[in-house]
Parts: sequence; C-alpha cells; structure tokens
Amino acid sequence: MLMVCAVNSISAQTFDISSGGQPTITGALGGSVTGSASVQNDLVVTINFGEVSPANTNSVVKVVVPVAVRSLLPYRVSVSLAGLGNANPQGLQSSDIGFGVANMRAMGNQSQICTQSSHIFYPPFNNDPASTATIAASGRVAYQSSLSNIAGATVILSGPRLQKTPNLTRQQTDGYIFDAIFTITPQYFATGTTSATLTFTISAGPIVPC
Amino acid sequence: MNTKTTRVITRALLFPTLLLVFAASASAQAQLTGTVNMSATVSKFVEIYSGGAITLTGNSGGGVGTDGVANSPLAAAINLGELGPSNTNSFVKASVPLKLRSNANYVLSMNATVASTGSTSDKVGSADVGFGLGTAVRAGTGVNTGGADTNATSGDPTLAGNGAVNGVSGRYEYTAANSNLSAFSSSTTALSGVRIMNAVPRTNTNGLAVPAIFSVKPQFYEDGSTTVSVTFTVSAP
Repeated sequence: MLMVCAVNSISAQTFDISSGGQPTITGALGGSVTGSASVQNDLVVTINFGEVSPANTNSVVKVVVPVAVRSLLPYRVSVSLAGLGNANPQGLQSSDIGFGVANMRAMGNQSQICTQSSHIFYPPFNNDPASTATIAASGRVAYQSSLSNIAGATVILSGPRLQKTPNLTRQQTDGYIFDAIFTITPQYFATGTTSATLTFTISAGPIVPC
Repeated sequence: MNTKTTRVITRALLFPTLLLVFAASASAQAQLTGTVNMSATVSKFVEIYSGGAITLTGNSGGGVGTDGVANSPLAAAINLGELGPSNTNSFVKASVPLKLRSNANYVLSMNATVASTGSTSDKVGSADVGFGLGTAVRAGTGVNTGGADTNATSGDPTLAGNGAVNGVSGRYEYTAANSNLSAFSSSTTALSGVRIMNAVPRTNTNGLAVPAIFSVKPQFYEDGSTTVSVTFTVSAP
C-alpha cells in the first residue's frame, strides 16, 4: 500500500503545463489577447486577432504566448487543433496563421539544468513565423510553420526533466518557459469570422539523460 | 490484540493515508493541458488608386497638370486646352488609368459637376463632356482573373457609335447610354463586379485596371472657361 501511494504521488505531479506569463499582441486593429500573467495559473488564453483585411495596414499581427512547463521526468509537449474549417479557399485558412515556438528559458533556481540533453523544438515549428514569412507563387503569404502543420496531436517540443524537486504547488522558479508565437498577415481574405482552439498537452517524452 | 499491537497497526495505516492525501493535493495542482482560443475578422475592403500616367490627345494648349502615379491616390488635374473651333482635332481626349482592389464584390460610382462661365445654352455643358470606361482588365499575380465585371457605360465616348451630330441643332452629342457627364450629375454606377483580389497582402500592387475616358468635341461653344470635377467612389455593397 505504501508503494502504490508513492507511485500515485509521483505520477500526479510529474508533468504540468501552465501560463508562462502575460501574453502580448502587436500590429492588431481592434484585437486583443487575454491570459494570466502568473506562472502559477492555468494556461487559458484567448486571442482576438482583430481585423485582418487590408484595412489593417500593419505588416503582421503577432501574438506571443508564454507557456510554462514543469516535469520530473523527460517530457514532450504536443498540440492539437480544432476549428478553422473554411470552405472558401480565399477565406482565412489554417495555413494563414503562422505558428512557431522559440525562446526556451529557465524559470529560476528550482529549474533543472541538464547538461547531457537539450530541450528540442521540433521542425518546422522551431521559428518565429513573423520572421520566416514569405510570399508564395500565388502571391499569398506562406510560413515556415503554421497551424496547417498540426495533424492530430503533433509534438512540438521535448527534452529532459524540467524541475529539480517535486513541489506540491506550482512555484515561480521551478520549470521552464517557452514562447508560442502566432501571426496573421493582413490580406485580401474573403470576408467572415474565423475561430479555432489550440490545445497544448504535456506528457512523458523520449527517455533522455539529464 | 494488545494495546501495543493496536498502536503499531494504527500507525501503519495512518502513514499511507497521509500519503494518499498528499497525492490528492499534488494531483489537484498539476495540469496536463492548456488552451489557446483564437478568432479573427475579415471585413469588406475596397480601394481605388491611380493606375498610372494620364494620356491626353487632340488638345490645343492643354496638358496634364497633375499626372497620375500608379498605386498612389488618384488626384489628377487636366487642362483640356482650347475647345473652340480653333482646335481642329476631332476630339480632345483624356484617358485616366484607374486601379481597383477589393476582397468583396464592388461598385465603382462616379459623380461629376461641370461649370462654365458662359451665359447661354451654347456654353460647354455636362452633356458636352463625353465619358466612358474602357475595358476592365484583371491581370497579375494575386488577382481573381476569373471574376466578371459589368461596365455600365458605353465605353470610349469617341467611338462612332457613341455620338453623332444632332440633325436639328447641329451640335455634336454623346447619345449612347451613360456616355456623357450629364448622366453622372449624382453618384451613378459606372462599373461593378465580383471580388478583385485573391488572398494576398496589400503590398501586392496588382488589381483591376480600367481607363476612365473623357472627351470633348471642339465646337462653336460660347466663349469662356469650364471646370469639370469628377469624383470616383468604390464601395462594397
């Protein structure tokens, strides 16, 4: 009975995902982003990109969502997408929303520093889509990675354990934070409104040494 | 069982019970998923720009004061020059390139005013200024080339079929539908069509190109000066 309790205890706190700080938005016309600034709160973010027709004269609408992750074992982070079914090919498609991850950084002195393995952002997502956007032959903006690269649960990040010791509650210094970056370039999209939900999931990852 | 044995069992049960409570506490804190909800809006968008340099022909002493510059706001100024019989050309003709872009069906309207200093019906009037839109061309990367456009004018006003000398008055008249500025004394549709642009950014400078053609046939008008003011407006109904 003691053994069972111990296993349950470790399993329950081995992986955790939360807000990594205040999300930010730039280049928006009538847009906004809401989410908790505290790394001790759940990751629940709402992005309104606002107007993305040419009426928005900014070159790009960019949202940076910090995501905090904690683990006592090697981990992986995957994402899955729901929504964005636009039948009109000139309407906003999943390929029109750039999506990348970058800037892994330790939260503080309780973060585990591993020297034998790295935290790996998986291609093609390892980029800032605002910096890698190009114009396709059709004239439409294309990204190195976008929401169209998400099929089912798609792994975007993995690595060694993230925190030194178990904690009963989230601390402000006991994990890592990375940035999830979303972009839309205002274009002559067909009119309408579009919505989608992206779910981040942390789970056991490839076994790697620390 | 004696008292000592009972205490040992009690302690043995209490410890895992505490661990269970601990585990439950940790489980309540850990979260394996997070969500990002996204939304965006695309509203109707239309715009009109100059399509390039203006062409002026058949003029005597006229010229283009403020020329059109491709992809810049349309703000042209044209001096048609002499419109009396001393100008022996058959027409003074100005062709003003327009460029339209939209992500929705569009309507191009025009409103014109003509003011002359003369005091008789022989002065230059709005019916004496021919007008029409030439062929609308959808071309280039990012343009919805399959889209259709409807020209509500009769095209180049100098075409033979668009005007003739009035057999009674002897005055040259633009007789085809919407072929002179009297038909545009209030905002009137000149061109309409389906969305012009595919999903491309505004930095793409292609679009729908169409020339707006104005003409005056030199005649024995009452002497004086004439000012013609034309405003184009594109909208997405």
